Amino acid sequence: MKAYWQLTLAQLRIFIRNKQVLFWTLAFPIFLMVVLGFTLGKGGGISVTVGVVDADKSPQSHELLSLLKKNKALSFEAKNTKEQAISSLKQGDLQIVLQIPKGYEERIKQKGAGSPFALPVYYDETNLTVSQVGQQLVNNAIDTISKKQTKYKPSVVIQPEGIESLHLSYIDFLVPGIVAMMILNNNMNGVAGQIASWRERGILRRMQGTMLKAHTFIAAQITARLVLNGLQALIVLGVARMVFGVAIRGSWLSVIAFVILGTLAFMAIGFIIAGIAKTPESAAPIAGFLSFPMLFLGGVFFPIKDMPDFLQPIIKLLPISHLSTALRETMNVGVSFASLGMEALILAGWLIIAFVIASITFKWE
Amino acid sequence: MKQAESMITVDSLVKRYGNFTAVNGVTFQVQKGEVFGLLGPNGAGKTTTLEMLVGLRKPEEGTAFIGSFNIRKELQKVKEVIGVQLQSTTLFELLTVEEILQMYGSFYPKHLPIAELIDDMILTEKRKSRIKSLSGGQKQRLAIALALVHDPWVIFLDEPTTGLDPQARRTLWDIVLKLKKRGKTIVLTTHYMDEAHVLCDRIAIMDRGELIALDTPETLVRNLHAASAISFSVSSEVDLNEWAKVEGVTKADCKEKEVVLYSDDLQLTLTSLIQTASERQIALEDLQTRTATLEDVFIHMTGRSLREE
Ligand SMILES: Nc1ncnc2c1ncn2[C@@H]1O[C@H](COP(=O)(O)OP(=O)(O)OP(=O)(O)O)[C@@H](O)[C@H]1O
Ligand SMILES: [Mg+2]
Repeated sequence: MKAYWQLTLAQLRIFIRNKQVLFWTLAFPIFLMVVLGFTLGKGGGISVTVGVVDADKSPQSHELLSLLKKNKALSFEAKNTKEQAISSLKQGDLQIVLQIPKGYEERIKQKGAGSPFALPVYYDETNLTVSQVGQQLVNNAIDTISKKQTKYKPSVVIQPEGIESLHLSYIDFLVPGIVAMMILNNNMNGVAGQIASWRERGILRRMQGTMLKAHTFIAAQITARLVLNGLQALIVLGVARMVFGVAIRGSWLSVIAFVILGTLAFMAIGFIIAGIAKTPESAAPIAGFLSFPMLFLGGVFFPIKDMPDFLQPIIKLLPISHLSTALRETMNVGVSFASLGMEALILAGWLIIAFVIASITFKWE
Repeated sequence: MKQAESMITVDSLVKRYGNFTAVNGVTFQVQKGEVFGLLGPNGAGKTTTLEMLVGLRKPEEGTAFIGSFNIRKELQKVKEVIGVQLQSTTLFELLTVEEILQMYGSFYPKHLPIAELIDDMILTEKRKSRIKSLSGGQKQRLAIALALVHDPWVIFLDEPTTGLDPQARRTLWDIVLKLKKRGKTIVLTTHYMDEAHVLCDRIAIMDRGELIALDTPETLVRNLHAASAISFSVSSEVDLNEWAKVEGVTKADCKEKEVVLYSDDLQLTLTSLIQTASERQIALEDLQTRTATLEDVFIHMTGRSLREE
């Protein structure tokens, strides 16, 4: 335990004293964010138009619609028939179609009897990000209604004000991506480079001559890097907030949880690279070879949906895609941790597999 | 069987790298409280032997005991009682002397008071300096301090004085002798004969992975059967046998144009040498005589000088 604290402390001291690395690992993401934010940030906001087909035309359905309309991020277009609405959806005029079927009011009045009432929502699969944002907004409103109907405590009700201010621009999209990129770079590339060079210089070998255990060493590395990454992510988020007013809509805990998950997963991959690389000189190119495509494909700068179809299956396997998606959904839309279970699971899967491989391939020399 | 007093027992250790045998069946014992020197030319297998004893390389054959602990089976216990300074190590350069000692101390169940250790190693003024800024000698003393931090029984030093100026070497000698006085067992490798002579109780000479001699420095020199050495160089190569025929010569060595003759009767040999040289019209250059040393023992046994240029 003493060794663990001492090593963690030593690693943090090394981070802090390595002024240049400290500066550039922070300066680069902030620089990127500021440049891209000012050049691309203002235009190209996401607007969501919802087509509504109200077949019920009851007071209840009107209430639902009025609640939805409070949300300034959404604009509405009433459509008479479902077919009409769907064809507009296909042409891209609408992003989402919400159908309120006949009998909606009656079902609502039965108050939770039987299975919950399902409202059909149609969306454009080729434009996932926008339609997901839209769906989330619609869901929130519907949540509000259903909770009111079943007499939930009001404290659980999602505040519509939070949703009202949602006007997403590129910078909102970018900031979570930058945080994901930072986690990727600092951990995968950082660990690979550092461990490989420590090994080359015999630093690890000297420690192997002591009673220190490998797992203590690795645990201390992880702790120190988690602290450092957490702080760096905070600084970037702080700058984003002050300069561009980018806020976190979801829970901070959820953001922190994904920062931790991402850090662990990429660090484990970094340990593998350090194990494979024969020299520190080869560690950097290997890490670069892996991180470069991830940055472009994994939704850091460009939406994943803009990537070619044939790459989609690969992209869906990349840890960075899930980290950037999870951070984005939490920060931009305020999606809860529970509904990002898939992302968390895949990252955890990467983490576990990578750690198993890393602990097998880890060498002191 | 191990002797009661022996602190290190090495039993036919073998280390191979592919087809190459770096250490070929080395056997020796080191007594408690002894300073034991491993000498040998570059690539003789000194570092390899030492690193097998401290658990950093796995021997292919043979085994060794430190105290009663088997280096193959009880490595963790071995590590608790040994301290190592490796031939090539760097440390975390951004930490200070005090911090790194504190850190290494934490790797063991108990450690010496850090401040005292720093004073002992004459690093008091550098306590708060970063390792990056230390001189070669200071770094070396720090490396030894790290080896001592948990107060081990046995200390392994791999070329502790290589690359240091004479002053710094002497400082290190004092440290080693002080450790010996405290009853520590020390195994060290060196390329310096004077150092081996001053520090070591016994010396093992290694060459090409094998132990070729093991004794006290005095006995090794005595066994050379030559009190004096006569060295000179010649302008063209002469057959070694010619030199052996010179009167009084017990041994003759030559490496290209450098010749060393050993003799118990310096005057006789010198007279005979001059005669031979003028008869055959050989010009002797840089003619020198001196008392034979460990260096001569070494050159004679290995046919190589310790530090090959
Ligand atoms: N990891 C390795 N792989 C292959 N060969 C090795 C390895 N380590 C050492 N050797 C070889 O084993 C031999 C013995 O090396 P070792 O380092 O033990 O020599 P040494 O006596 O310490 O020499 P020096 O005085 O130069 O330090 C050398 O020929 C060296 O090239
Ligand atoms: Mg060596």
